[in-house]
Amino acid sequence: MSSTASDLKKILGKGKVIDDPAIVKLYSKEPSGMEGEGAIAVVFPESVEDVRRIIRYAYETSTPVYPQGSSTSLAGSAVPFERGIVISMERMKKIHEVNLVDGVAIVDPGIRIDDLNVELARYGYMFPVDPASSSVATVGGAINSGAGGMRGAKYGTMRDWVLGLELVLADEDATLLRVGCKTVKCRQGYDLTRLIVGSEGTLGIVTKATLRITPLPEQVVYILAFYDKLEDLAQTVVDLKASRITPLIAEFMEARTVELAKKLANVEIDAEGHMLLVGVDVYREAAERMLRLLEETARKNNAKKVYKAWSTEEAEEKGLFAIRRNLFTSQVYYTRQRLGKENVHVLIEDIVVPPSRLVEAVKRLDEITRKYGFTLILGGHIGDGNLHPAVGYDPEDEEEKKRVHDWYMEVMKLALELGGSMSAEHGIGVMKKEGLRMEAEALGSPKMLDLMRGIKQVFDPKGILNPGKVV
Amino acid sequence: MQSNGAEALRAYIRAETSKCMFCGFCEALCPTLYHGPHRGYGPRGRVNLARLIARGEASFTSDVVESMYSCLLCKACHLKCPGGIDIVGVVRATRSLYVLSQEVSA
Repeated sequence: MSSTASDLKKILGKGKVIDDPAIVKLYSKEPSGMEGEGAIAVVFPESVEDVRRIIRYAYETSTPVYPQGSSTSLAGSAVPFERGIVISMERMKKIHEVNLVDGVAIVDPGIRIDDLNVELARYGYMFPVDPASSSVATVGGAINSGAGGMRGAKYGTMRDWVLGLELVLADEDATLLRVGCKTVKCRQGYDLTRLIVGSEGTLGIVTKATLRITPLPEQVVYILAFYDKLEDLAQTVVDLKASRITPLIAEFMEARTVELAKKLANVEIDAEGHMLLVGVDVYREAAERMLRLLEETARKNNAKKVYKAWSTEEAEEKGLFAIRRNLFTSQVYYTRQRLGKENVHVLIEDIVVPPSRLVEAVKRLDEITRKYGFTLILGGHIGDGNLHPAVGYDPEDEEEKKRVHDWYMEVMKLALELGGSMSAEHGIGVMKKEGLRMEAEALGSPKMLDLMRGIKQVFDPKGILNPGKVV
Repeated sequence: MQSNGAEALRAYIRAETSKCMFCGFCEALCPTLYHGPHRGYGPRGRVNLARLIARGEASFTSDVVESMYSCLLCKACHLKCPGGIDIVGVVRATRSLYVLSQEVSA
């Protein structure tokens, strides 16, 4: 047993430290395909005091710590590369308070987003930020990665829904800091709450969060429409906006992706062409009018097929979500077919462009992907301009890995060229550090990185919090 | 005979577990995950521990054995795995490897 693990066992007591190398490896990787070799042990705090004890020890001994939720990051945010301790927040998962009058929920960082929503649904409420990994992703992980989701166009991202935070700082006393309020209006000098959101565990260890919550929609109506021309699909969304409609979700998939995904979806939907899925939350009395408007707008813009659903339940039954849900899986199966092997990796990019540049972005992405000899799998949140182009590759083929990296860089450059950003909701981690530098330069603001390094230095003078990430 | 059997099991486990991309979607439906002390009590953990065992990169420590034997074999995780991994098959094969390893050492 390493002296670090043995020290931690003494400090924390029984059952909160694991240093079995096999179990430690379960906390050393993530779906991006990245894996670190640095973790000595995984610690499982069960209280704020446990977190403070760990941080005091880490500070004293200058040992790096890697806070983790469920390790579903796609940017290398939670991987332990240097010798250090993984802090898994999975045992701190209480819901402390749900207050409907104040419209807040106060929760531990280790609760999974879907589990929180199951509880909130009992009161007719929800926490609306819904990353694709919401069944696994924890609130703490989503706060630290600044996560978004399908409902981003209507509800924004984590930074719009975190009102206050409690965190442990990486100083000699492991100071417990509380920032933010329990109210939407809050002018507490510099906005430290928003600074922590998206900081990827590099500035402090979040131990509690005050979240805004919102009522569940009374009813949601949906259309699923297919188009020959991407311009027509995009115009449908523009027309809906002109009709003063903000959809709850507005998802699209490019035609070839639809073709691959429908093979796996096993639904009776005549899916051909570019796909648009729109859901609008309404009061029951308005459902018929809204559904008619959605269908008419799609048909006016040359949709070939339009499927409708009066509710989320009906949309599930008819399989309206099935093709979209197979976006990621289709890339996996397609790549396995292409390479003739089971062990493949899929790189899911995450860029955002102004919605007005979306059609251009899709065309350019296809060109770039062809240039590098890959097949583009593309879906995205058309309402907020967030695109997730993905390519599959052979992780054992060095030449192909190099090509994927070059593709990745060029996709980020495209986002900047079109006035967007190289990261929308997945964060920076290690994979997008180069992208962040490019974006700072594109904005003519390399000083941005100096400011970020300065902030990091103030919060974490010894550089022990998730080292090597973000800046 | 035993070593051939073990090699066949290892080959099967290697092939199945190579499909795992660590997304963790399987964990949402697992009835045992929250009853254990770590990620190894869920399907993502079991698949990745099995992979390490099959590659000879881990041994049957008490944590690993408990991970495999705490699985209820209910296949709930199969409904969510985007890679289509036969997770329960992997757990059964890993248990068989463990039994073989005990016979050899006895």
